This record gives sequence, C-alpha cells and structure tokens, in this order.
Amino acid sequence: MTLEPAAAETLESLAGLGWEEAEVFAKRGRSRSFQVAAGQETSTLRQEEGWAARAGDRRRSFFFGSTGSPDPGASWPEGDGHGLRLPSARPIPRWTPPSSLDSPLIAEGEARGLFEALARALDTELPGARVLQGHLEDGSSESWLLSTRDIAATVRQRAATLYVEAAQMRPTPRRVSMTLLERDARRFNPPAIARRLADHLLITHRGSAPRRDRGEFLLAPEVVIDLLAALSFLWVGPRAAEAAAELEDRRGRLASSAFTLVDDGRLPGGLMEAPVDGEGQPTRRVALVGEGSYQQPLLAWWQTPSSPQQLSGCSLRASWRDLPTPGPTHLYLEPDDSTSVVRLLENLRRGYYLLATEGGVKIERGRLGVPVRGFAIDNGRPTGSVTGAWLTASIPTFLTGILAAARDLSFQMRGSGIWGAPTLLVRGLELRHRPGPGKPLSE
Amino acid sequence: MPFSHLDSSGIARTLSQIADEVTDSADAFFERQEEIMLPAGGTAPGLRVWREEGLAVRLGRGDQSWMATRDEISPEAFRDAVRRAGRALPRAPYPDPRLDVLPWQKAPEAPDLLEFPSRLQGALRSRGVHFTAEPTLRRHRRWVRLIGTRVSSGTESEHFFSLEIHMPWGKFGALLPSLDQPTADRTAQSLIRLFQARDCDPPPSRRQTCVLGAGATAVFLHEAVAHALEADTLALGGHPEAAIGVSMGSSHLNVFDDPGSGPRGVRRQADDEGFPVSRRCLLRAGVVEQPICDRAWARRSDLLTAGAGRRGHRRSPPAPRSTHLALAGSDSSLQDLLAGAEGGLYLPEAERGLLDPLSGAFTLRFPYGRRIQHGVPGEPVGPCSISGRVVDLLERVNGVGREVQAAGAGWCAKGGLKLPVWATVPEIRLENVEIRG
Repeated sequence: MTLEPAAAETLESLAGLGWEEAEVFAKRGRSRSFQVAAGQETSTLRQEEGWAARAGDRRRSFFFGSTGSPDPGASWPEGDGHGLRLPSARPIPRWTPPSSLDSPLIAEGEARGLFEALARALDTELPGARVLQGHLEDGSSESWLLSTRDIAATVRQRAATLYVEAAQMRPTPRRVSMTLLERDARRFNPPAIARRLADHLLITHRGSAPRRDRGEFLLAPEVVIDLLAALSFLWVGPRAAEAAAELEDRRGRLASSAFTLVDDGRLPGGLMEAPVDGEGQPTRRVALVGEGSYQQPLLAWWQTPSSPQQLSGCSLRASWRDLPTPGPTHLYLEPDDSTSVVRLLENLRRGYYLLATEGGVKIERGRLGVPVRGFAIDNGRPTGSVTGAWLTASIPTFLTGILAAARDLSFQMRGSGIWGAPTLLVRGLELRHRPGPGKPLSE
Repeated sequence: MPFSHLDSSGIARTLSQIADEVTDSADAFFERQEEIMLPAGGTAPGLRVWREEGLAVRLGRGDQSWMATRDEISPEAFRDAVRRAGRALPRAPYPDPRLDVLPWQKAPEAPDLLEFPSRLQGALRSRGVHFTAEPTLRRHRRWVRLIGTRVSSGTESEHFFSLEIHMPWGKFGALLPSLDQPTADRTAQSLIRLFQARDCDPPPSRRQTCVLGAGATAVFLHEAVAHALEADTLALGGHPEAAIGVSMGSSHLNVFDDPGSGPRGVRRQADDEGFPVSRRCLLRAGVVEQPICDRAWARRSDLLTAGAGRRGHRRSPPAPRSTHLALAGSDSSLQDLLAGAEGGLYLPEAERGLLDPLSGAFTLRFPYGRRIQHGVPGEPVGPCSISGRVVDLLERVNGVGREVQAAGAGWCAKGGLKLPVWATVPEIRLENVEIRG
C-alpha cells in the first residue's frame, strides 16, 4: 500500500494551517541484517516506515518527523528560527527503474552461506586467519515526496553493505576490516573478499614503513576515494570554485589530463541511482573537472540562484529522519576502459602499490597526509610490504601528478554520499614513517 | 509512562508460542523516543522534532537469535513480528494481546533549549570573554519496556540533553542531565580553556607524569576498562570468563558500572533485556571481578552475570555495554596529585580514545593541557595523546583523587551502536607515561 494518499492529506492539512511552504516526505523500507561474531549469529528482519514534514514561511519554520504513515492531525511544534524556502518542480527527464530493484532480499540461509564461504576461503588463502565478525545488510525502500510547490516524486532504492573484520593471532595479533557495497547482496564474492583480507593481514604482519621515499605510486581505489573525499571542499558547495582557483596553475589547470571528475545521480547500476534527489529535483550527470580543467562545483538548487544551469539534484536524504543535505550522489573519477591494473603494475619500475588507508586523511597547510598500507614494487614485482607509512604530497602535486587511470572503477560510501575511483598511477608523492602531512622532501 | 498499560501476560503468552524448546527465550522490546533539536545559529528549519515508536521481537536459541522489528506498536504489528522472529505461524494462535500505549502528549516544546544559548553567552560575558559560541542543542527522551517469557521489566525512561559547539579553534561536545545555569557556567569554562590553548604548541614527546581531570579520567576508564571488559570484546581473544581474576591495573583502581546511580534522568533499574541492573564491580584493586555482560554471554557461563545488555535502538540487537562508570575515590586531594607530578601535565579533558582489543594498543587524545608548575596547573599546552599498552597504562595509575564528580559523559559509538554513557569519577595520576605531542 502506498503512503502517497496520507502524505497528500498531511500536506493539505499543513497548507490549510497557513504555511506558505510545506513538504511531506514518507519512506517505507524493509531489510535483512545478518550478524556473526564470536560464534553468535543474529538474523533480523526489519520493516520501517516513517515520514517527515517541513513547513515555514519567510519568518519561521519547523521540521517534524515520526514513525508510521503521515498524520494530518499531528501535534506540530511551534515554528521558530529562520524562514524556509522550498524548491519548485522542474521537468524530470525520462527514467526507467533498473530491474534489480525487484530482486528479493537475501535469505537467512544465503547470508549464513556467504559467511561460511568467506571463512573457508580465508582459511585457504591464509591458514590460521579467521573472520572475527561480519555484518551483512540488504534492504530496499520506496519514498514519496510532495510539496506545496507542485513536487510529486517517488523513488525506489536497493542496497546491500557488507562489513567484515578478520584477524590472525600469530606471531602477533593483527586485524583488518573492510566495508563493501553492492546493489544486491548476492553479488558479494567470498573468494575475492578473502583474497583481499589475506593480502591486508599479510601486509600488517610483515610490513614496515620506509623513513622517506619517492617513486611512482599505484593507488588502489580505496586510497584514491579517501583522498578525493578529503578534498571535497574543492568539489562540493558554493565556495568550492574559489578554493579550486587558488590551486590552478598558470595555464588554469587544476589537475592532469587523466583527471575527469563527475557526479551522476542517474549513474546506471549506481547504488543511489534515481530520477530525483531528496528534494524532488532532477538528477543528472555533471562534470566537475574535465581532463584537468575545473568546470564547476556540485551545487544544489538553493546554492545557485544566479546560474540555475549549474544546479543538479544532489540533496541527499538517507532516511525520513534526515533533512536534505547537498552532497555527492555518485561522485567519481572517470576510469580509462583501455587500461588494466596489471598493465599499470607491470610498467611500474620502482615505487609502491598502496592498497588501503589505515586512518583518516589529514590536510595541513595545503598538504595531504594519510597512513597507508601496500607493497614496495621493483620492476613490476612486489619486493616488500609497507604498513604504518604516511603518504604525503601537496594537493597540486597529487592532482597534477596523476599519469593514468585504470578501468577498475569501484565505489565506497563516505559520509552519506557515494564516491568512486579507479586505480591511479601517480608521480611526485612521498612515503614517510612520521605521522602527518609533513614538509616536502626538498625542505 | 507510555507502556504502563501493556498486557504483559498476554504478550508473554503469545511469545511462548515461538519459544518452543526448553532453553529458548523470547522477548518483546517496546520503545518510544523523542528528540528535539535546536540547530546552531538559527539555521532553517528552526525547531526540529522527531517522535518515534516501535517494537522488536526476539527469539534466542543457543547461539542464534532471530529478531523482527516494526515501526509501529499495534496488535497486528506485534503478531507479524512474532511470526517473522519465530519463522513460523503457530497452528492455533492465542488471541492478540492488548497493546494500549498512551498517546503522545501535546505539541512538542522545549523552552530549556531556547533559553540555553543566551545563558551560555551570559556566562561567557560574565568572565570577560567576547567570542560567539552557538550551540546545537538536543533534548533526548526515551521510554523502553521489555516483556519476555523469562524476564520482564517495568517502563524505563531516559531524559537528558546533548550539546555541540563548533568554533574555529576546536569542537566541544557534552551530554548533560540539565541545561541550568551551573551547566552554562561549566560549559563556558571549558570553552574558555579551549580558546586559551588555541595557538599553543603541543608538549614535547617524552615520558612524563600526568594528572587527568575528572572528564579525562571518565573517557580513559570508558575506553581502557569498560570496553576492554565487555564480553563481546573479550570473546575476540578467548572466553570472556577467563578474564575474571586477572590483574589488569594498579591496586588504586576500584571501578564499577552502576546504571542505578547515574544522573537523575538516566538512572536504570533494568537493562534493555529486562534484567535488573546492579553495581557491577569491574576492577577491585586492579583485578577483574565481573566483565560487562548481556544475556547471550551470561547463558554461556555460570561466572558471568547478565544485566548490562544495551540497545542503541530497537532495530539493533543488544550488546554488552557500560552505562554509568564509577571510580571509587581515595584520600588524595587534587593538590596532592599535582604535587606528585611536578613538571608533568594536567590534562582536564579528553577528546577520544582508541583501544585495539587484540593487541591491547591504546591511545587517548587530549585537546589541550597545562604544564604543572609549583604544584598547580600553569602554562597551557596544545593537543597531545597518551599511548601504550592498556594494561601497562592502567598499572601506572599511582594516585586517585577524593573529589568524585559527574564528568566526561558522551556518546559511545562502538560497533555502530550509539549509546549515551555517563561517569562519576575523581582525578587520577599516571606515572611516567608516553606523551606524544
């Protein structure tokens, strides 16, 4: 049963109370969660239903959210604070929902089977290693949005997340973890995940940090995504263009020609693929950086009063509890479909292949620093493991040092948005054992 | 109380239909929550209100649990959740129990939230300080009740406030039992200390003696003792009961988890699994006495006691977590502690801690501190951290103050379970620990 009639009735009730601007958002979803830890298993089936209303005029406003279906007779709070403005309806380009939205949620037996297969594969890859804990979530939802500005939108979504933590106790206890995203939980591949976990455990056992070194760097998608997300002040919001301009070179270029950054709320197969955003504005593909040249920042409707051609539907609304907030829908660095990771690795004469970050990215005085793990590489072959090392560079050095991108585009959730990147080959970065962004090697 | 009129015997009878093995247990968790938020700086929309309620039915069998949750409290929602948790429909179901829940009272309002920003500005002005601190304020109210085939509880309630302030020189956050004038004064004092240390250099990295203020002590004990002694954390390395009797810290440490004696609005009589809470002694003279344990772990061992199962939300399964940590005071005054740490650091507040439960590696970060000179806190120093093996750090506690005070309350987010945690502790002194600037 749809929540739309109750939402419409509630909107009418708010308008009848004299609110110039009013909006009702309702969401219904169901999910299966399967958790394993220390020999215990919990399987949870959830059915969720909630709604929220925003209402206001030029002087005051309120937000009210509640479980259940929209209630025209709710006890509204007093309006307070600043005035509220809502967006008008805009034409929505044709959109066909992907068929995978209709696949059933993963069954309890399938979820258990996934973890059992993962445990077996991990023990094969690295005898003695074990899955410490795991959490699989598979869910689908449908939401309805109506406003006094003629917005009437419905969005369906489907997503699965998998968190796994693995450990090896000898010679010293070490653990690693990863979070993966898919549209459908059945697409998680236990042997591939086990290989990645085993690689990371081996690195943390055997690795060390070089005192200070340079070379060519192959950065796996996870590392690139963390760096891109840490630089979100260059890509998202009305101040981003100004911040990016300060980093452009004399020719007006921000990054190398291998760097093309886009945000696309309609990305086919993307986890948040939808015709409209959380405020009913049409989503679209927007190029933020094209072959190294800055094009525009990611802007929501209220951030571009003077140049509406720049706006895109990018207001995120993770649940009915959340207010819409501008942010990346699928913000990703374009891959190069003709280049494989293996080819980039084979051509790496001396440098590092960094697989993951070991902590958050720090930015100080225009320099980036992030703890990383991976391999030292000589003539395309790993010669040692690296852990506890800090990857550092100035922001322009990182952006202009990108030599090539591979085809292995993958996505991760950062904040409430989705970020994507392929493996990158980068020159000019430094690896050091001291924490923090540090100073350039030449100083 | 919204759940006073639930038909507990009818609910238990319905649950008994799915608990069909001798060791099975089934329970229903009813939850109602209200959060009112006043955003910083009058951002639109102004007052934000969330009201929600729902239920969760759980069936436990051996090491397995099945849960079903609904965002609604009604006989139909309950019946559906029982069927989904039990994964079968009983052949001859009992009649639905009555689920009479009191309706929400009147329109939500929170005058204390609206008054606090001006109280805080007044407190800053009265100290001769003229920076703007715009808080984001929230009032949290929650009612829960558990009815099961083996245990049941009355309605438990929580009522408290949270505050967050972002300033160019740092972030300040706290959980507060009330938003009265003394709270505004204490908050202003903390903000001023943060401001005074904004440009200070971190202390040099070396081993030194330091005194932790009550706020920092609370965070230290939460991370280093409470998290380390949670049954699910202990299980990562072996059986949790093996920890009992192990010497984990200095003989000065008598640490308790006592949900019944927390601040007035958050005291509990039962945990989120319906078990009565107790003053659980975690460390007695530094020796582990009773780990923090929920029902699932207690049923595996006669030595472990349930009563510390907490749920961040009805949608999450319970996990063993602390609620209100208490450290017994000793005879030493703060002056005594400082006198024994000449040249070291006084660290009044901690930002956050991180414990690796497998390796025992521990780090605790502080936003600022003060150098101890002539037995009193002197010149301010910038951000720093303590790091080391958790057992080694706990053994280095060589002094505990006598002024026990409510301090260091905050949100714990371990394993994605967001829970308010409280503490009543004195200052402590740590001898010769590794400080990193």
